[in-house]
Amino acid sequence: MRSTSYPVGFAAAAVAVYVFLLAPIAIVVVAAFNSGEYLRFPPEGFSLRWFSKFLASEPFVRSFWFSLKLASLATLLSTVAGGMAAFFVVRHAGRSRDFLRLLLVAPLQLPAILTGIALLIFFYSVGIGTRGMTGLLIGHTVVSLPYVFLMVSSVLLRFDRTLEEAARSLGASPWVTFRRVTLPLVQGGVISGALFAFITSFDQFPISLLLVSVGNTTLPIQLFDYLRFSFDPTAAAASTVSVALSVAVVWLIHRLVGLEQVTWGGPR
Amino acid sequence: MARAAELTGPEVRRLNRLSLPPALLLVTAGLFLVVFFLVPYLNMVRMSFLTKAPGAAFSHVLTVENYLRVLQDAFYWRVIARTFWLAGLTTLLTLVLGYPLAYTIARAAGPRRPLLLMLLLAPLLVGAVVRSYGWMIWLGRVGLINQALRALGWGEAELMYNTLGVLIGLVHVYLPFMVLAIASSLEQIPADVELAARSLGASPWRAFWRVTWPLSLPGVFSGAMLVFVLALSAYVIPILLGGNNVLVMPMLIVQMLLDAFHWPLGSAMAMVLFGLASLVLWLYVKAMNRALRWIPR
Repeated sequence: MRSTSYPVGFAAAAVAVYVFLLAPIAIVVVAAFNSGEYLRFPPEGFSLRWFSKFLASEPFVRSFWFSLKLASLATLLSTVAGGMAAFFVVRHAGRSRDFLRLLLVAPLQLPAILTGIALLIFFYSVGIGTRGMTGLLIGHTVVSLPYVFLMVSSVLLRFDRTLEEAARSLGASPWVTFRRVTLPLVQGGVISGALFAFITSFDQFPISLLLVSVGNTTLPIQLFDYLRFSFDPTAAAASTVSVALSVAVVWLIHRLVGLEQVTWGGPR
Repeated sequence: MARAAELTGPEVRRLNRLSLPPALLLVTAGLFLVVFFLVPYLNMVRMSFLTKAPGAAFSHVLTVENYLRVLQDAFYWRVIARTFWLAGLTTLLTLVLGYPLAYTIARAAGPRRPLLLMLLLAPLLVGAVVRSYGWMIWLGRVGLINQALRALGWGEAELMYNTLGVLIGLVHVYLPFMVLAIASSLEQIPADVELAARSLGASPWRAFWRVTWPLSLPGVFSGAMLVFVLALSAYVIPILLGGNNVLVMPMLIVQMLLDAFHWPLGSAMAMVLFGLASLVLWLYVKAMNRALRWIPR
Protein backbone atom coordinates (compact mmCIF):
# COMPACT_ATOMS: atom_id res chain seq x y z
CA MET A 1 0.00 0.00 0.00
CA ARG A 2 1.17 3.50 -0.81
CA SER A 3 -0.24 6.81 0.05
CA THR A 4 1.03 10.31 0.24
CA SER A 5 -0.19 11.11 3.70
CA TYR A 6 1.28 9.68 6.83
CA PRO A 7 -0.03 10.11 10.34
CA VAL A 8 2.22 12.69 11.93
CA GLY A 9 4.90 11.20 14.14
CA PHE A 10 4.97 7.70 12.68
CA ALA A 11 8.19 8.23 10.76
CA ALA A 12 9.95 9.79 13.74
CA ALA A 13 8.73 6.97 15.98
CA ALA A 14 9.97 4.41 13.47
CA VAL A 15 13.45 5.94 13.45
CA ALA A 16 13.54 5.95 17.26
CA VAL A 17 12.51 2.30 17.39
CA TYR A 18 15.21 1.37 14.88
CA VAL A 19 17.76 3.08 17.10
CA PHE A 20 16.45 1.06 20.06
CA LEU A 21 16.60 -2.13 18.00
CA LEU A 22 20.14 -1.63 16.77
CA ALA A 23 21.75 0.06 19.80
CA PRO A 24 22.65 -3.05 21.83
CA ILE A 25 23.91 -4.89 18.78
CA ALA A 26 26.03 -2.03 17.51
CA ILE A 27 27.53 -1.49 20.95
CA VAL A 28 28.69 -5.10 21.18
CA VAL A 29 30.67 -4.64 17.98
CA VAL A 30 32.10 -1.32 19.19
CA ALA A 31 33.11 -2.89 22.51
CA ALA A 32 34.85 -5.74 20.68
CA PHE A 33 37.09 -3.37 18.73
CA ASN A 34 37.66 -1.00 21.62
CA SER A 35 41.01 -1.33 23.37
CA GLY A 36 39.81 -0.62 26.93
CA GLU A 37 38.73 -3.06 29.64
CA TYR A 38 35.25 -1.68 29.45
CA LEU A 39 33.55 0.70 27.10
CA ARG A 40 33.98 4.36 27.94
CA PHE A 41 32.82 7.28 26.00
CA PRO A 42 34.58 8.37 23.87
CA PRO A 43 36.12 4.96 22.99
CA GLU A 44 39.78 4.67 23.87
CA GLY A 45 41.04 3.38 20.57
CA PHE A 46 40.88 0.62 18.02
CA SER A 47 42.34 -2.72 18.93
CA LEU A 48 42.06 -6.39 18.05
CA ARG A 49 43.27 -7.56 21.44
CA TRP A 50 39.85 -8.94 22.46
CA PHE A 51 39.70 -11.00 19.31
CA SER A 52 43.14 -12.42 19.98
CA LYS A 53 42.05 -13.12 23.56
CA PHE A 54 38.97 -14.85 22.18
CA LEU A 55 41.13 -16.94 19.85
CA ALA A 56 43.49 -17.78 22.70
CA SER A 57 40.68 -18.85 25.00
CA GLU A 58 40.35 -22.59 24.77
CA PRO A 59 36.69 -22.86 25.96
CA PHE A 60 35.55 -20.18 23.51
CA VAL A 61 37.37 -21.63 20.53
CA ARG A 62 36.26 -25.16 21.31
CA SER A 63 32.63 -24.14 21.73
CA PHE A 64 32.83 -22.09 18.54
CA TRP A 65 33.99 -25.08 16.49
CA PHE A 66 31.48 -27.29 18.23
CA SER A 67 28.64 -24.89 17.38
CA LEU A 68 29.83 -24.67 13.80
CA LYS A 69 29.91 -28.44 13.43
CA LEU A 70 26.56 -28.87 15.17
CA ALA A 71 24.88 -26.15 13.11
CA SER A 72 26.25 -27.58 9.85
CA LEU A 73 24.95 -31.07 10.62
CA ALA A 74 21.58 -29.77 11.83
CA THR A 75 21.31 -27.68 8.67
CA LEU A 76 22.04 -30.67 6.48
CA LEU A 77 19.45 -32.85 8.20
CA SER A 78 16.73 -30.23 8.42
CA THR A 79 17.25 -29.04 4.84
CA VAL A 80 16.92 -32.51 3.37
CA ALA A 81 13.98 -33.52 5.56
CA GLY A 82 12.21 -30.16 5.56
CA GLY A 83 12.72 -29.56 1.85
CA MET A 84 11.29 -32.95 0.89
CA ALA A 85 8.38 -32.46 3.26
CA ALA A 86 7.62 -29.12 1.63
CA PHE A 87 7.49 -30.81 -1.79
CA PHE A 88 5.08 -33.38 -0.44
CA VAL A 89 2.79 -30.98 1.39
CA VAL A 90 2.57 -28.45 -1.43
CA ARG A 91 2.27 -30.90 -4.32
CA HIS A 92 0.89 -34.20 -3.12
CA ALA A 93 -0.90 -33.85 0.20
CA GLY A 94 -4.66 -34.08 -0.09
CA ARG A 95 -6.93 -33.78 2.88
CA SER A 96 -4.03 -34.25 5.27
CA ARG A 97 -2.41 -30.98 4.16
CA ASP A 98 -3.59 -28.84 7.06
CA PHE A 99 -2.63 -31.43 9.64
CA LEU A 100 0.81 -31.90 8.10
CA ARG A 101 1.46 -28.17 7.98
CA LEU A 102 0.50 -27.96 11.63
CA LEU A 103 2.86 -30.78 12.60
CA LEU A 104 5.75 -29.43 10.56
CA VAL A 105 5.62 -25.91 11.98
CA ALA A 106 4.62 -26.96 15.51
CA PRO A 107 8.20 -26.72 16.84
CA LEU A 108 8.06 -23.00 16.02
CA GLN A 109 4.76 -22.47 17.79
CA LEU A 110 5.73 -24.09 21.05
CA PRO A 111 8.32 -22.50 23.34
CA ALA A 112 11.76 -23.93 22.61
CA ILE A 113 12.45 -24.31 26.31
CA LEU A 114 9.47 -26.64 26.61
CA THR A 115 10.75 -28.67 23.66
CA GLY A 116 14.14 -28.81 25.34
CA ILE A 117 12.63 -30.12 28.58
CA ALA A 118 10.57 -32.71 26.72
CA LEU A 119 13.66 -33.88 24.81
CA LEU A 120 15.86 -34.02 27.91
CA ILE A 121 13.38 -36.26 29.70
CA PHE A 122 12.79 -38.32 26.58
CA PHE A 123 16.49 -38.91 25.88
CA TYR A 124 17.06 -40.19 29.38
CA SER A 125 13.92 -42.32 29.26
CA VAL A 126 15.06 -44.11 26.11
CA GLY A 127 18.73 -44.26 27.09
CA ILE A 128 20.22 -41.88 24.53
CA GLY A 129 21.20 -39.51 27.33
CA THR A 130 22.84 -36.20 26.62
CA ARG A 131 26.44 -37.27 26.32
CA GLY A 132 27.95 -36.57 22.94
CA MET A 133 26.35 -34.62 20.16
CA THR A 134 23.40 -36.83 19.25
CA GLY A 135 20.84 -35.25 21.57
CA LEU A 136 21.82 -31.71 20.65
CA LEU A 137 21.78 -32.53 16.96
CA ILE A 138 18.26 -33.96 17.20
CA GLY A 139 17.01 -30.99 19.23
CA HIS A 140 18.50 -28.45 16.87
CA THR A 141 17.12 -30.27 13.84
CA VAL A 142 13.63 -30.27 15.35
CA VAL A 143 13.60 -26.48 15.70
CA SER A 144 15.32 -25.62 12.41
CA LEU A 145 13.29 -27.96 10.22
CA PRO A 146 10.16 -25.72 10.23
CA TYR A 147 12.15 -22.81 8.78
CA VAL A 148 13.29 -24.86 5.81
CA PHE A 149 9.78 -26.21 5.36
CA LEU A 150 8.23 -22.72 5.37
CA MET A 151 10.86 -21.23 3.08
CA VAL A 152 10.71 -24.02 0.48
CA SER A 153 6.90 -24.14 0.67
CA SER A 154 6.59 -20.46 -0.05
CA VAL A 155 8.81 -20.80 -3.13
CA LEU A 156 6.94 -23.90 -4.31
CA LEU A 157 3.57 -22.21 -3.99
CA ARG A 158 4.64 -19.64 -6.57
CA PHE A 159 6.17 -22.28 -8.82
CA ASP A 160 4.83 -22.56 -12.35
CA ARG A 161 4.35 -26.28 -12.89
CA THR A 162 3.84 -26.00 -16.61
CA LEU A 163 7.61 -25.58 -16.86
CA GLU A 164 8.08 -29.09 -15.55
CA GLU A 165 5.37 -30.44 -17.79
CA ALA A 166 7.07 -28.82 -20.76
CA ALA A 167 10.36 -30.50 -19.92
CA ARG A 168 8.66 -33.86 -19.45
CA SER A 169 6.72 -33.59 -22.66
CA LEU A 170 9.95 -32.81 -24.51
CA GLY A 171 11.24 -36.15 -23.33
CA ALA A 172 13.19 -35.36 -20.19
CA SER A 173 13.18 -38.08 -17.54
CA PRO A 174 11.74 -37.22 -14.10
CA TRP A 175 15.23 -37.02 -12.69
CA VAL A 176 16.55 -34.75 -15.45
CA THR A 177 13.45 -32.58 -15.11
CA PHE A 178 14.03 -32.27 -11.41
CA ARG A 179 17.71 -31.49 -11.77
CA ARG A 180 17.50 -29.14 -14.75
CA VAL A 181 14.16 -27.41 -14.18
CA THR A 182 12.81 -27.81 -10.68
CA LEU A 183 15.98 -27.52 -8.65
CA PRO A 184 17.33 -24.35 -10.30
CA LEU A 185 13.97 -22.69 -9.72
CA VAL A 186 13.62 -23.62 -6.06
CA GLN A 187 17.25 -23.54 -5.01
CA GLY A 188 16.98 -19.97 -3.76
CA GLY A 189 14.29 -21.06 -1.32
CA VAL A 190 16.20 -24.15 -0.31
CA ILE A 191 19.41 -22.22 0.33
CA SER A 192 17.54 -19.50 2.25
CA GLY A 193 15.84 -22.14 4.35
CA ALA A 194 19.20 -23.76 5.00
CA LEU A 195 20.71 -20.42 6.01
CA PHE A 196 17.88 -19.83 8.45
CA ALA A 197 18.26 -23.32 9.82
CA PHE A 198 21.97 -22.71 10.26
CA ILE A 199 21.59 -19.47 12.17
CA THR A 200 18.74 -20.91 14.26
CA SER A 201 20.99 -23.73 15.33
CA PHE A 202 24.09 -21.59 15.76
CA ASP A 203 22.27 -19.14 18.04
CA GLN A 204 20.04 -21.72 19.69
CA PHE A 205 19.87 -21.26 23.42
CA PRO A 206 17.00 -22.93 25.31
CA ILE A 207 17.36 -26.35 23.70
CA SER A 208 21.13 -26.32 24.11
CA LEU A 209 20.86 -25.24 27.74
CA LEU A 210 18.98 -28.41 28.57
CA LEU A 211 20.91 -30.79 26.33
CA VAL A 212 24.57 -29.75 26.59
CA SER A 213 26.99 -31.93 28.48
CA VAL A 214 30.54 -31.48 29.74
CA GLY A 215 32.90 -31.06 26.82
CA ASN A 216 30.04 -30.46 24.39
CA THR A 217 29.23 -26.81 24.93
CA THR A 218 27.91 -24.51 22.24
CA LEU A 219 29.08 -20.94 21.79
CA PRO A 220 25.88 -19.28 23.13
CA ILE A 221 25.98 -21.45 26.25
CA GLN A 222 29.68 -20.73 26.75
CA LEU A 223 28.98 -17.02 26.31
CA PHE A 224 26.09 -17.20 28.77
CA ASP A 225 28.21 -18.92 31.43
CA TYR A 226 30.96 -16.40 30.87
CA LEU A 227 28.65 -13.40 31.18
CA ARG A 228 27.26 -14.57 34.49
CA PHE A 229 30.60 -13.96 36.12
CA SER A 230 32.49 -11.48 34.01
CA PHE A 231 31.93 -8.60 31.70
CA ASP A 232 35.18 -8.33 29.83
CA PRO A 233 35.17 -7.68 26.09
CA THR A 234 36.32 -11.17 25.17
CA ALA A 235 32.59 -11.83 25.24
CA ALA A 236 32.13 -8.90 22.87
CA ALA A 237 34.54 -10.46 20.40
CA ALA A 238 32.64 -13.76 20.61
CA SER A 239 29.35 -11.92 20.16
CA THR A 240 30.67 -10.03 17.15
CA VAL A 241 31.23 -13.34 15.39
CA SER A 242 27.57 -14.14 15.91
CA VAL A 243 26.43 -10.68 14.78
CA ALA A 244 28.53 -10.97 11.63
CA LEU A 245 26.95 -14.33 10.82
CA SER A 246 23.43 -12.93 11.23
CA VAL A 247 24.14 -9.97 9.00
CA ALA A 248 25.65 -12.27 6.38
CA VAL A 249 22.60 -14.56 6.48
CA VAL A 250 20.13 -11.70 6.09
CA TRP A 251 22.14 -10.28 3.21
CA LEU A 252 22.31 -13.64 1.43
CA ILE A 253 18.58 -14.26 1.82
CA HIS A 254 17.92 -10.79 0.45
CA ARG A 255 20.00 -11.64 -2.61
CA LEU A 256 18.55 -15.13 -3.06
CA VAL A 257 14.79 -14.85 -2.62
CA GLY A 258 14.07 -11.42 -1.19
CA LEU A 259 13.25 -10.68 2.41
CA GLU A 260 9.52 -10.52 1.65
CA GLN A 261 9.50 -14.31 1.99
CA VAL A 262 10.28 -14.00 5.68
CA THR A 263 6.81 -13.64 7.12
CA TRP A 264 6.47 -16.39 9.66
CA GLY A 265 6.20 -13.91 12.45
CA GLY A 266 2.90 -12.96 10.90
CA PRO A 267 -0.52 -14.56 10.52
CA ARG A 268 -0.05 -18.13 9.51
CA MET B 1 8.04 -34.22 -31.71
CA ALA B 2 4.51 -35.19 -32.67
CA ARG B 3 4.41 -37.57 -29.76
CA ALA B 4 5.54 -34.93 -27.32
CA ALA B 5 2.87 -32.53 -28.50
CA GLU B 6 0.17 -35.12 -27.85
CA LEU B 7 1.05 -35.46 -24.20
CA THR B 8 -1.55 -33.59 -22.26
CA GLY B 9 -2.04 -32.92 -18.55
CA PRO B 10 -3.26 -36.33 -17.37
CA GLU B 11 -0.63 -38.16 -19.36
CA VAL B 12 2.13 -36.09 -17.88
CA ARG B 13 0.74 -36.87 -14.50
CA ARG B 14 0.77 -40.55 -15.31
CA LEU B 15 4.41 -40.23 -16.33
CA ASN B 16 5.16 -38.67 -13.00
CA ARG B 17 3.54 -41.57 -11.26
CA LEU B 18 6.11 -43.92 -12.77
CA SER B 19 8.64 -42.56 -10.31
CA LEU B 20 8.73 -43.37 -6.59
CA PRO B 21 5.61 -42.83 -4.49
CA PRO B 22 5.58 -39.19 -3.32
CA ALA B 23 4.80 -40.20 0.27
CA LEU B 24 8.48 -41.12 0.58
CA LEU B 25 9.19 -37.39 0.59
CA LEU B 26 7.41 -37.06 3.88
CA VAL B 27 8.86 -40.07 5.66
CA THR B 28 12.03 -38.45 6.99
CA ALA B 29 10.52 -35.26 8.40
CA GLY B 30 7.30 -36.97 9.50
CA LEU B 31 8.99 -39.79 11.37
CA PHE B 32 11.56 -37.45 12.82
CA LEU B 33 8.98 -35.07 14.24
CA VAL B 34 6.74 -37.83 15.54
CA VAL B 35 9.60 -39.59 17.33
CA PHE B 36 11.54 -36.55 18.51
CA PHE B 37 8.78 -34.01 19.01
CA LEU B 38 5.33 -35.54 19.49
CA VAL B 39 6.43 -38.50 21.59
CA PRO B 40 8.72 -36.43 23.88
CA TYR B 41 5.87 -34.01 24.54
CA LEU B 42 3.49 -36.83 25.42
CA ASN B 43 6.21 -38.34 27.56
CA MET B 44 6.56 -35.04 29.41
CA VAL B 45 2.84 -35.00 30.13
CA ARG B 46 3.16 -38.52 31.52
CA MET B 47 6.21 -37.51 33.54
CA SER B 48 4.23 -34.78 35.29
CA PHE B 49 2.02 -37.49 36.82
CA LEU B 50 4.87 -39.68 38.07
CA THR B 51 6.60 -39.70 41.44
CA LYS B 52 10.14 -38.72 42.33
CA ALA B 53 12.07 -41.71 43.62
CA PRO B 54 14.98 -41.43 46.00
CA GLY B 55 18.22 -41.70 44.06
CA ALA B 56 16.48 -41.72 40.68
CA ALA B 57 14.74 -39.11 38.60
CA PHE B 58 11.34 -40.77 38.80
CA SER B 59 9.44 -43.96 39.54
CA HIS B 60 6.38 -45.28 37.75
CA VAL B 61 3.83 -44.45 40.42
CA LEU B 62 0.99 -42.29 39.17
CA THR B 63 0.01 -39.26 41.24
CA VAL B 64 -1.42 -35.77 40.99
CA GLU B 65 0.79 -34.73 43.90
CA ASN B 66 3.07 -32.62 41.64
CA TYR B 67 0.20 -30.51 40.40
CA LEU B 68 -1.16 -30.03 43.91
CA ARG B 69 2.26 -28.93 45.11
CA VAL B 70 2.46 -26.25 42.44
CA LEU B 71 -1.16 -25.12 42.66
CA GLN B 72 -1.29 -24.93 46.46
CA ASP B 73 1.92 -22.98 46.89
CA ALA B 74 1.48 -19.20 47.14
CA PHE B 75 5.12 -18.77 46.11
CA TYR B 76 4.53 -20.38 42.73
CA TRP B 77 1.42 -18.31 42.19
CA ARG B 78 3.40 -15.14 42.82
CA VAL B 79 6.04 -16.20 40.30
CA ILE B 80 3.36 -17.22 37.79
CA ALA B 81 1.64 -13.86 38.24
CA ARG B 82 4.94 -12.04 37.65
CA THR B 83 5.65 -14.13 34.56
CA PHE B 84 2.25 -13.36 33.04
CA TRP B 85 2.43 -9.72 33.99
CA LEU B 86 5.86 -9.30 32.36
CA ALA B 87 4.71 -11.13 29.23
CA GLY B 88 1.58 -8.99 29.01
CA LEU B 89 3.48 -5.76 29.47
CA THR B 90 6.04 -6.87 26.88
CA THR B 91 3.22 -7.57 24.44
CA LEU B 92 1.71 -4.15 24.98
CA LEU B 93 5.03 -2.34 24.63
CA THR B 94 6.07 -4.23 21.50
CA LEU B 95 2.70 -3.29 20.01
CA VAL B 96 3.10 0.40 20.80
CA LEU B 97 6.70 0.52 19.57
CA GLY B 98 6.24 -1.91 16.70
CA TYR B 99 3.22 -0.40 15.01
CA PRO B 100 4.89 2.74 13.60
CA LEU B 101 7.77 0.60 12.39
CA ALA B 102 5.46 -1.90 10.70
CA TYR B 103 3.55 0.95 9.11
CA THR B 104 6.74 2.51 7.78
CA ILE B 105 7.95 -0.81 6.37
CA ALA B 106 4.59 -1.63 4.78
CA ARG B 107 4.57 1.74 3.03
CA ALA B 108 8.18 1.85 1.99
CA ALA B 109 8.82 1.42 -1.71
CA GLY B 110 11.85 0.94 -3.91
CA PRO B 111 15.29 0.18 -2.52
CA ARG B 112 14.37 1.51 0.94
CA ARG B 113 12.14 -1.46 1.60
CA PRO B 114 14.74 -4.27 1.62
CA LEU B 115 16.99 -2.03 3.68
CA LEU B 116 14.30 -1.48 6.32
CA LEU B 117 13.54 -5.21 6.38
CA MET B 118 17.21 -6.02 6.72
CA LEU B 119 17.60 -3.70 9.69
CA LEU B 120 14.66 -5.49 11.31
CA LEU B 121 15.67 -9.06 10.52
CA ALA B 122 19.37 -8.82 11.37
CA PRO B 123 18.61 -8.13 15.06
CA LEU B 124 16.01 -10.90 14.99
CA LEU B 125 18.70 -13.38 14.03
CA VAL B 126 21.20 -12.31 16.66
CA GLY B 127 20.86 -14.60 19.66
CA ALA B 128 19.24 -13.46 22.92
CA VAL B 129 22.52 -13.90 24.83
CA VAL B 130 24.37 -11.47 22.60
CA ARG B 131 21.52 -8.97 22.74
CA SER B 132 21.33 -9.17 26.51
CA TYR B 133 25.06 -8.56 26.62
CA GLY B 134 24.63 -5.48 24.45
CA TRP B 135 22.09 -4.16 26.94
CA MET B 136 24.45 -4.91 29.82
CA ILE B 137 27.00 -2.61 28.19
CA TRP B 138 24.41 0.16 28.04
CA LEU B 139 22.58 -0.38 31.30
CA GLY B 140 25.16 -1.75 33.73
CA ARG B 141 26.47 0.07 36.81
CA VAL B 142 29.53 1.14 34.82
CA GLY B 143 27.53 1.12 31.63
CA LEU B 144 27.35 3.90 29.09
CA ILE B 145 24.12 5.43 30.37
CA ASN B 146 25.36 5.61 33.93
CA GLN B 147 28.67 7.06 32.74
CA ALA B 148 26.73 9.79 31.00
CA LEU B 149 24.56 10.42 34.06
CA ARG B 150 27.62 10.68 36.30
CA ALA B 151 29.35 13.00 33.84
CA LEU B 152 26.32 15.24 33.98
CA GLY B 153 26.38 15.09 37.75
CA TRP B 154 23.00 13.37 37.99
CA GLY B 155 24.22 10.44 40.01
CA GLU B 156 23.42 6.88 39.08
CA ALA B 157 20.34 4.94 38.01
CA GLU B 158 19.46 1.30 38.64
CA LEU B 159 18.73 0.20 35.09
CA MET B 160 19.62 -3.45 35.32
CA TYR B 161 19.18 -6.41 37.65
CA ASN B 162 15.59 -5.33 38.16
CA THR B 163 12.25 -5.48 36.37
CA LEU B 164 13.11 -2.50 34.18
CA GLY B 165 16.16 -4.21 32.75
CA VAL B 166 14.24 -7.42 32.07
CA LEU B 167 11.45 -5.51 30.40
CA ILE B 168 13.86 -3.62 28.13
CA GLY B 169 15.47 -6.88 27.10
CA LEU B 170 12.17 -8.67 26.50
CA VAL B 171 10.74 -5.85 24.42
CA HIS B 172 13.93 -5.70 22.38
CA VAL B 173 14.04 -9.40 21.65
CA TYR B 174 10.38 -9.86 20.71
CA LEU B 175 9.73 -6.57 18.91
CA PRO B 176 10.67 -7.86 15.43
CA PHE B 177 8.05 -10.63 15.66
CA MET B 178 5.34 -8.08 16.36
CA VAL B 179 6.53 -5.83 13.54
CA LEU B 180 6.53 -8.67 11.00
CA ALA B 181 3.01 -9.71 12.00
CA ILE B 182 1.58 -6.20 11.76
CA ALA B 183 3.44 -5.35 8.55
CA SER B 184 2.14 -8.43 6.75
CA SER B 185 -1.38 -7.47 7.77
CA LEU B 186 -0.94 -3.84 6.69
CA GLU B 187 0.34 -4.96 3.30
CA GLN B 188 -2.95 -6.65 2.52
CA ILE B 189 -4.88 -3.39 2.86
CA PRO B 190 -5.46 -1.85 -0.57
CA ALA B 191 -4.03 1.67 -0.76
CA ASP B 192 -7.34 2.91 -2.16
CA VAL B 193 -9.32 2.56 1.04
CA GLU B 194 -7.22 5.05 2.94
CA LEU B 195 -7.06 7.34 -0.07
CA ALA B 196 -10.84 7.18 -0.31
CA ALA B 197 -11.16 8.25 3.30
CA ARG B 198 -8.71 11.07 2.70
CA SER B 199 -10.42 12.28 -0.43
CA LEU B 200 -13.70 12.32 1.45
CA GLY B 201 -12.13 14.81 3.82
CA ALA B 202 -10.74 12.73 6.68
CA SER B 203 -7.53 13.99 8.27
CA PRO B 204 -4.53 11.61 8.12
CA TRP B 205 -5.09 10.64 11.76
CA ARG B 206 -8.80 10.12 11.33
CA ALA B 207 -8.24 8.04 8.18
CA PHE B 208 -5.74 5.97 10.14
CA TRP B 209 -7.95 5.38 13.16
CA ARG B 210 -11.15 4.71 11.28
CA VAL B 211 -9.77 2.77 8.31
CA THR B 212 -6.20 1.48 8.54
CA TRP B 213 -6.07 0.54 12.23
CA PRO B 214 -9.24 -1.58 12.23
CA LEU B 215 -8.15 -3.35 9.07
CA SER B 216 -4.75 -4.15 10.56
CA LEU B 217 -6.22 -5.75 13.68
CA PRO B 218 -5.73 -9.37 12.48
CA GLY B 219 -1.97 -8.75 12.36
CA VAL B 220 -2.03 -6.98 15.72
CA PHE B 221 -3.87 -9.87 17.34
CA SER B 222 -1.69 -12.61 15.91
CA GLY B 223 1.49 -10.68 16.68
CA ALA B 224 0.32 -10.16 20.26
CA MET B 225 -0.36 -13.86 20.65
CA LEU B 226 3.07 -14.81 19.38
CA VAL B 227 4.95 -12.28 21.51
CA PHE B 228 2.96 -13.23 24.62
CA VAL B 229 3.83 -16.92 24.32
CA LEU B 230 7.48 -16.20 23.54
CA ALA B 231 7.81 -13.76 26.44
CA LEU B 232 6.22 -16.25 28.85
CA SER B 233 8.97 -18.74 28.09
CA ALA B 234 11.90 -16.29 28.19
CA TYR B 235 14.82 -17.57 30.23
CA VAL B 236 18.09 -15.93 29.18
CA ILE B 237 16.91 -12.34 29.49
CA PRO B 238 15.46 -12.56 33.02
CA ILE B 239 18.68 -14.19 34.20
CA LEU B 240 21.20 -11.90 32.52
CA LEU B 241 19.31 -8.63 32.87
CA GLY B 242 17.39 -9.42 36.03
CA GLY B 243 20.17 -11.05 38.00
CA ASN B 244 18.44 -13.21 40.53
CA ASN B 245 16.08 -10.40 41.46
CA VAL B 246 13.37 -11.07 38.91
CA LEU B 247 12.21 -14.63 39.30
CA VAL B 248 10.07 -16.02 36.48
CA MET B 249 8.61 -19.47 35.93
CA PRO B 250 11.03 -20.73 33.24
CA MET B 251 13.92 -20.09 35.66
CA LEU B 252 12.23 -22.16 38.36
CA ILE B 253 11.37 -24.93 35.92
CA VAL B 254 14.91 -25.24 34.60
CA GLN B 255 16.26 -25.15 38.16
CA MET B 256 13.89 -27.90 39.18
CA LEU B 257 14.97 -30.07 36.26
CA LEU B 258 18.71 -29.46 36.09
CA ASP B 259 19.67 -28.64 39.69
CA ALA B 260 17.06 -30.37 41.86
CA PHE B 261 16.78 -33.18 39.31
CA HIS B 262 13.08 -33.44 40.11
CA TRP B 263 11.61 -34.24 36.70
CA PRO B 264 8.02 -34.97 37.69
CA LEU B 265 7.65 -31.69 39.56
CA GLY B 266 9.53 -29.76 36.88
CA SER B 267 7.26 -31.21 34.20
CA ALA B 268 4.17 -30.40 36.24
CA MET B 269 5.37 -26.81 36.64
CA ALA B 270 5.85 -26.53 32.89
CA MET B 271 2.39 -28.01 32.31
CA VAL B 272 0.79 -25.58 34.76
CA LEU B 273 2.49 -22.57 33.15
CA PHE B 274 1.58 -23.51 29.62
CA GLY B 275 -1.83 -24.84 30.61
CA LEU B 276 -2.64 -21.43 32.05
CA ALA B 277 -1.18 -19.82 28.96
CA SER B 278 -3.41 -21.95 26.74
CA LEU B 279 -6.41 -20.92 28.81
CA VAL B 280 -5.54 -17.25 28.44
CA LEU B 281 -4.97 -17.67 24.70
CA TRP B 282 -8.26 -19.53 24.30
CA LEU B 283 -10.17 -16.70 25.93
CA TYR B 284 -8.14 -14.26 23.87
CA VAL B 285 -8.92 -15.99 20.57
CA LYS B 286 -12.62 -16.06 21.45
CA ALA B 287 -12.63 -12.34 22.22
CA MET B 288 -10.58 -11.66 19.11
CA ASN B 289 -12.98 -13.53 16.84
CA ARG B 290 -15.84 -11.52 18.28
CA ALA B 291 -13.92 -8.28 17.75
CA LEU B 292 -13.12 -9.19 14.15
CA ARG B 293 -16.53 -10.51 13.17
CA TRP B 294 -17.11 -7.58 10.85
CA ILE B 295 -14.07 -8.39 8.70
CA PRO B 296 -15.09 -10.64 5.80
CA ARG B 297 -12.75 -13.60 5.82
